[in-house]
Amino acid sequence: MWFKRKNLVTLLILCLLLYFSMRLTEFDLSKFRDFRNMIDFLAQWFPMDTSKFPGMVHDSLETVGMAFLGSFIGLFFGLPISFIAAWNTSPTKPVYHLSRFALSFMRSIPEIVFGLILLTALGLGPFPAVLAIAFHNIGVLGKLISELVEASDPGPQEAMKAVGSKNWFAHLFSILPQIWPNVLSHYFYRLEVAIRTSLVLGFIGGGGIGQRLFNDFKTFQYSSVSLDVLIIMVIVVIVDVLGSYVRNRVI
Amino acid sequence: MLELNEVAVRYPGSAQDALSDITLTFDKGEFVCILGKSGSGKSTMIRCINGLQEPTYGEVRWDGQPLSKMSEEQLRKVRRQMGMIFQHFNLIPRLTVMQNVLTGTFGYRSNFKNLIGWFSDQEKKQAKQVIEDVDLSSMADRRVERLSGGQKQRVGIARALLQQPQIMLGDEPVSSLDPGTSNHIFSLLEQMHRQRHLLTIINVHDVGLAKRYATRIVALKAGEIIFDGKPEEFTDREYFNTYESNEVNEKTRSR
Repeated sequence: MWFKRKNLVTLLILCLLLYFSMRLTEFDLSKFRDFRNMIDFLAQWFPMDTSKFPGMVHDSLETVGMAFLGSFIGLFFGLPISFIAAWNTSPTKPVYHLSRFALSFMRSIPEIVFGLILLTALGLGPFPAVLAIAFHNIGVLGKLISELVEASDPGPQEAMKAVGSKNWFAHLFSILPQIWPNVLSHYFYRLEVAIRTSLVLGFIGGGGIGQRLFNDFKTFQYSSVSLDVLIIMVIVVIVDVLGSYVRNRVI
Repeated sequence: MLELNEVAVRYPGSAQDALSDITLTFDKGEFVCILGKSGSGKSTMIRCINGLQEPTYGEVRWDGQPLSKMSEEQLRKVRRQMGMIFQHFNLIPRLTVMQNVLTGTFGYRSNFKNLIGWFSDQEKKQAKQVIEDVDLSSMADRRVERLSGGQKQRVGIARALLQQPQIMLGDEPVSSLDPGTSNHIFSLLEQMHRQRHLLTIINVHDVGLAKRYATRIVALKAGEIIFDGKPEEFTDREYFNTYESNEVNEKTRSR
């Protein structure tokens, strides 16, 4: 037999979880009886209205800028913090615990919450959105990179101590080249996520193509919405291609 | 020149000493091979010498100065006089042969210079010289991942030589190399040993290599010295005692 009794219990629990989740989310496929409405709705999206194309390009660049700046600031601060939040390179135990706590705190608050707070405090526009993305990404990248630091080969660090380097320098100099390709890999993934996040932040007034999409949608300009969506898809694909290109060049 | 005085090491959480009551004196010009089974304390002893491992008890003295009393700064100054090569080479990945060798100067320079990677012409010239000494000139600009095991170890040796060391330490430097390459590495080490008049202390599993190159053999068992003498005195009986007999000294247990 491939299965043990334990597996059947697991299966039962899984089924129960699925059932309750469906009840809670009002999961109901019979709603697709009104499928025709959806087709009628989507039909309004075409033909696309290209008259606002230049404005959309400008907004898209704003979105890409927001995502890049936000995630880069996240990397800039997250990278050094990750070294003091890794058990093998942290200067002292209290610093280690404190930085771990700080990182998980930053991670635990979603960007949209930061966005809502900062947009109220600093006024509408992309700047508060950048800060929101940056803050969250310090937490995420700090944590991810600290795990890379912890998994790095201790051998080169010993070698650098043996030539007479200071401890902190031995850590930095031997670990960074080891983890660099994976750091970039994490960074580009976070950049992609940041682009999606900046769209959502646009919905609450953070500017960029997200805000335009939201406004077009709320004012029933579906022929513009379709072009917004197309542009967003193109951006995501371009960032993805660019990311894998850079990663391949580095490895 | 180098003294170990009643050195003992017990790792946290272990009931037994990894190294116990080691008293040894080493002098310039000696080529010492440390023999012993895996787990006999060879590695721990080598690491005590340059302070990568702190003794739980006893003292390591360098020119009469105990390492344990030194500040971090003084310890760094001692370490830079001790070249060390490793079983897994411990080179910095993604850097070239030249760049890896240049890290041998790090103990003499400021962190800022190290970080930006600025090296004087003098330092570059010396690096070129040691790369030539280990016969890797044609590969100086190649990334170290692309080298063979033997070549990697030669980079390790070049890095250690650039420290202008007085001691060369080796923690099983040939244990992951084939016999021919191992022999080549040992003859290179011996050549450098003679040229620079070093004290060389190397852990090794290959008794044949030890007997061929060493001027002195120290054998460890369960953290204690069971042999210390000339290579020709290391007979079959000593070999059996070191590697095959299972009797454990009561003294080790009781401490």
